[in-house]
Amino acid sequence: MTRFAVRTEDVWKVYPQEPEPVQAVRGLTLEVESGDFVAMAGPSGSGKTTVLNLLGGLTDATKGRIWIGDEELTGMSERERARLRLDRIGFVFQAYNLLPVLTALENAEFTLLLRGVPREERHARVHALFREIGMEGLADRRPGRLSGGQQQRVAVARAVVGDPALVLADEPTANLDSATSDALLDTMERLNREHGSTFVFSTHDPRVMERARRLITLVDGQIESDERRAPARADLPAP
Amino acid sequence: MRAFVLLRLAARSVGRNARRSILTAAAMVIGLALLIFSRALSDGGHEQWIESAVRMGSGHVAIQAPRYLETGKIEHRLERDQLGRAVEAIEALDPELGVVAWAPRLSVSGLASSAASALPVRVEGVDPEREATFSQFEGELRDGRYLEPDDGLHAFVGVELARRLDLEVGNRFVLTAQTASGEVEGQLVRVAGTFRTAVSELDEGLIHVPIETVRAWLGATGSATTVAILVDPSMRTDEVVDALSVSLESDPDIRVLGWRESTPDLDSAVRIDDYGDYIFHIILFAIIALAILNAVLISVLGRRREFGILRAMGLTGFETGVVVFVEGLLLTAASGVVGMVLGFAITWGFFRDGLDFSGLMSSEMSFSGSIIDPVIVPFFQLRQVLVSVYFILVIGSLASLYPALRASRLDPADAMKFEQ
Repeated sequence: MTRFAVRTEDVWKVYPQEPEPVQAVRGLTLEVESGDFVAMAGPSGSGKTTVLNLLGGLTDATKGRIWIGDEELTGMSERERARLRLDRIGFVFQAYNLLPVLTALENAEFTLLLRGVPREERHARVHALFREIGMEGLADRRPGRLSGGQQQRVAVARAVVGDPALVLADEPTANLDSATSDALLDTMERLNREHGSTFVFSTHDPRVMERARRLITLVDGQIESDERRAPARADLPAP
Repeated sequence: MRAFVLLRLAARSVGRNARRSILTAAAMVIGLALLIFSRALSDGGHEQWIESAVRMGSGHVAIQAPRYLETGKIEHRLERDQLGRAVEAIEALDPELGVVAWAPRLSVSGLASSAASALPVRVEGVDPEREATFSQFEGELRDGRYLEPDDGLHAFVGVELARRLDLEVGNRFVLTAQTASGEVEGQLVRVAGTFRTAVSELDEGLIHVPIETVRAWLGATGSATTVAILVDPSMRTDEVVDALSVSLESDPDIRVLGWRESTPDLDSAVRIDDYGDYIFHIILFAIIALAILNAVLISVLGRRREFGILRAMGLTGFETGVVVFVEGLLLTAASGVVGMVLGFAITWGFFRDGLDFSGLMSSEMSFSGSIIDPVIVPFFQLRQVLVSVYFILVIGSLASLYPALRASRLDPADAMKFEQ
């Protein structure tokens, strides 16, 4: 069993484009420890979202290798990657995260449903999470009747409910006001601390960067800086 | 479990944009209802043509000597023993096959002569009692009466023929024809009544005479040229032909024909009319297919981000395509049921007594020996309705395939870039 939630080795992502191919990610080598709370910052176009898509198996690397836990993602078939995403990766996107035809409860339990978890267990886990993140009483609402912050909390619940090895969050606070952002970050920090979920964010938001225990800065598809600010896990001693 | 999740997602998505779903469904519902209505009307019209033609012609099923259809000559007739076997075979048929009437006929071409003129005619020797229920010429009576069982030298004459021969009820005239032995013999008969159909060939050239009179006149005792059989419903014609063919197969000099064989002109007319309907149906199907394709494709293009999320959650591209395909199928199936009910409701509710086209056509119109009734009564054939529903389902499925393919091939990372 590896201590890393995710590892990459010389990963490149090149988009074939005229007149010249675009190198979105250039030789990324990275190790993220299990239970870490990592922020990836950088200007627009620095490759943050592409890195998250690569780590989540949503797009193929042009070159290099990626492991999620001890499973190598690169070289997997589409079906295997779908299974890996379902079992080991949770996603939180910037906005419009939820399936509009499902209620908050149904959205949050979606991955459990796909995994074939029995109804009682699904509901118990989702309701427990909803209590933790202050979503009690809103389980039966469809996304259209939830605020942006509430929707993001449901998305976070969906991402962590299956105890994934890795939660990838692409600018989760970008469309939220500061109070809602703080509340969402509190929720994610608590889930990280209490459930041991590994979070990797892409962000422009200083509040996210402040709370990250590790801050990686990307520029032009490469790591410009990698700053460890606190132990990877809250239960470990400071470096 | 996954299949259930996909089905639930598809069902919810259909209900999500109710207005778009209803508009798409409306295209299919109206299309199917129109299809069922037009098919029922067309089949009703054909049934009327067939009914009219077979009653005045040789029935839904005709038993004849093998060459009679080609020659129409008395030498190619059923002799007494063959006629007896044919009648035995008819009477032994399973009542479930729907034989409602049969009548022997001894027909010959000849000449009708009066003091005024001499004209070519078709003389049919008929059993007055059986013929009354068969060809129902009584209903076309213009003057006098139809033949009766005790009649001997009586004739029932087309009104136009009577006019040309300057005959009235009670007048006598002479029929001349070649007999079974090849001689030319005359027969004096008296006009019992006249008839008018909308079929000019009949009004101008057909004469009914009691069959025993014709047999005696032509030296063809106990024989007939045709045994005509009526079947209800007419769709069972082929079954009756098959059953009689099996019963009579031991005699190579007896031939059993369905109306399509014995009345090829009518068969062609029905087929040509059917082809016209099929072209209309193809156009209708194409319109319906485009409506479904348009609606489902727009729905897919507007939900790219949603499909990206589904992929991120762990669905494969194939499963995402299945969601879209099932959406199309659900919409089609629901529309199929509603369209079928609406089609029945419109056809049966408003037009069960027939649709009157008398404003568009003359009240007396005919072709191929068939009277065209301006009031067409719709006729449902379960098979046709099922075929229509089947085609709508196939069209709906095919039209959903392309959007499903598009959804399955979406790149999840690209799909996530789209704002909703």
